[in-house]
Amino acid sequence: MLPLSLLKTAQSHPMLVELKNGETYNGHLVSCDSWMNINLRDVICTSKDGDRFWRMPECYIRGSTIKYLRIPDEVIDMVKEDAQAKSRNRTEMNKNRGGNSSQNQRGGRPGGGNRNNVGNRPGQGYGGPANNAMRLGGAGGQGNRLPHAAKNRK
Amino acid sequence: MDDLNPLAGTAHLLEEVDKKLMVLLRDGRTLIGYLRSVDQFANLVLQRTIERIHVGNEYGDIPRGVFIIRGENVVLLGEIDREKEQKLPLKEVSVDEILDAQRREQEQRQEKHRLVSKALKERGLAVDANIINEDFC
Repeated sequence: MLPLSLLKTAQSHPMLVELKNGETYNGHLVSCDSWMNINLRDVICTSKDGDRFWRMPECYIRGSTIKYLRIPDEVIDMVKEDAQAKSRNRTEMNKNRGGNSSQNQRGGRPGGGNRNNVGNRPGQGYGGPANNAMRLGGAGGQGNRLPHAAKNRK
Repeated sequence: MDDLNPLAGTAHLLEEVDKKLMVLLRDGRTLIGYLRSVDQFANLVLQRTIERIHVGNEYGDIPRGVFIIRGENVVLLGEIDREKEQKLPLKEVSVDEILDAQRREQEQRQEKHRLVSKALKERGLAVDANIINEDFC
């Protein structure tokens, strides 16, 4: 899981973004791109010293100005679960493929594999929404903790 | 082989994945956590991260959680030797104490800086405070 994919996974989660100039932005991630440009909503901006604050409904941050982002712990767990679900899917797929291969001609295999892939998706989807709902609830709690971070500097 | 690797420049970092690393940022902060991911820009994902503040031979740890660090802000990173970690010649103190100590150290530094600027000014040497500002902006 690459850092930018993780960031994409963290969409809709609260996070703290610190810029190179020391300002921090607390908000929920709306979107991001492969340059790390991001859109946040419900943002609280904190000055470098941590003594001035600004609230804004939304903001856009250019990726190149970012120092780091802090995301809730559970986002990484989501990635792990996703990876596990995918590998489970893959082994099931292989099993199916193994069963089919006795009936199918060798040439027909790739097509059969793809069809299995599509067929398995709804199954994976069932696990998804329930998990996400749980994770979102947890993320709210983390959001309350994050804003403290800026105070500890200096 | 390196030419085929899309991560060529940062390829050796892949060997550090899942190890406990210390990362020094350009702003002077020290983070310690488990490296979970890297990409071709040396962007890093750190999990179970702490920020370690050193003042003299005391240090304090602040738990920080998960970081996505933009690669260009990293000065260096290195693996933490678990054995040596057990016998640090440093003393761990509480977060409040270390923050206090850090604040005092900073004030001392500013005071010293003020005196130096004053002395230079008296000798007709104008010093632009921004040039020797240790903070990166």
